Amino acid sequence: MAKVFLNGQPVEHPHEVHEHISPMSTYNGVIGALFVLTGLTFAVSFADLGPASLTVAMVVAFVKATLVVAYFMHLKYDDKFHLFVFLGTIIFVGIFFGFTMFDLKSRDALNDEQETFVRWKEQTNEGKGLPVGVDNVPERRAKILAEIEAHGGGHGGGEHSAGHGGGEHKAEAKAEHKAAAH
Amino acid sequence: MSNDHAHAPAHVDDDEHNPHLAHHFDTMGQQTASAKLGMWLFLATEILMFSGLFLAYFILRMFYPEMVLEAHEHLSKWAGGINTVVLLSSSYTMALGVRSIQLGDAKKLRLMLVLTMLCGCIFMVVKYFEYSAKFEHGMLPGKFYSAHLHGYEIEGLPHIFFGVYFLMTGLHGVHVVIGLAIMLWMFIRAGRGEFSAKNYVAIENTGLYWHLVDLVWIFLFPLLYLVK
Repeated sequence: MAKVFLNGQPVEHPHEVHEHISPMSTYNGVIGALFVLTGLTFAVSFADLGPASLTVAMVVAFVKATLVVAYFMHLKYDDKFHLFVFLGTIIFVGIFFGFTMFDLKSRDALNDEQETFVRWKEQTNEGKGLPVGVDNVPERRAKILAEIEAHGGGHGGGEHSAGHGGGEHKAEAKAEHKAAAH
Repeated sequence: MSNDHAHAPAHVDDDEHNPHLAHHFDTMGQQTASAKLGMWLFLATEILMFSGLFLAYFILRMFYPEMVLEAHEHLSKWAGGINTVVLLSSSYTMALGVRSIQLGDAKKLRLMLVLTMLCGCIFMVVKYFEYSAKFEHGMLPGKFYSAHLHGYEIEGLPHIFFGVYFLMTGLHGVHVVIGLAIMLWMFIRAGRGEFSAKNYVAIENTGLYWHLVDLVWIFLFPLLYLVK
């Protein structure tokens, strides 16, 4: 008998199927719990929990996800390497979320301190009814508003309003770019 | 291999003659494990893809909390809730389908696939009504946004919120449609008698995909429809 390998490990009895078959009661219990938890989040959403509501909703969602992954997707009984792949992915999602949020949350304070703050805020462009990205540093704001005025205004708000410029030169470049585009 | 074959115990099935064993695998067990590992790696890329959209939602929420709260009031909690129950039920029937074929019952597998597809279709019908309502009210992404012309004043950047909403639910909806197509394919293959208790990894992987679609919805539902 030739040696058979699974995930780099030699397998003793390659012809046997090692799949775990869960009893019906497991599946019935899991779907029951999922329905109860769905009802719970639904009911809780009508109560005014304030900032805690996000935490409650996410905790319930994580419990539901764990049930699905462990029992419906068989990760509880499966090859542990699949669990490793799954948890590894979750860790990378955590890094992705963590670092991005940390950057976005701490950048404001840093920019304020160094006076490189360029946060684009929405402001209604009178007459056109469209939000336009406007710098909130007074001198630059006046300059940009003057330019918008000079070119008839009415830029689409979507593409500019949520952006973050990076420093004075960029802001000016942006303003010039806006002016040139019209 | 043929030399040793004579010494193999009599009770061991001869995988070499299983018509579903690809020539580059030694046994059905090895073939199953490889296919499942591949599926889990694919699911990892799916999770990472959706995570980008979830992050966009959280950033939007962080910068414009009031706007997100105001805009989300325009989504139907009941439609989202019904769809959650429908999708969870479909995951349940899919899991039972995998269990049926693990026990060698191809007939029950086909029944479960039909039930799962039925739930998937109900999900898409509810989605259709939800989307129609949003289109009617001009609650559309980016430059297509025109809800203010329909008498809905939402402060801030509602066109960005609806961009995130349509991208997240839309990508999820595309996954549901692809899942339905795969299940139809599996239904046909099951009808041809391809699957058995020894060869069902295609069903198992279809199930894994479908549960992932369910998993994404488990997070989408509270974040978009419920959270205050």
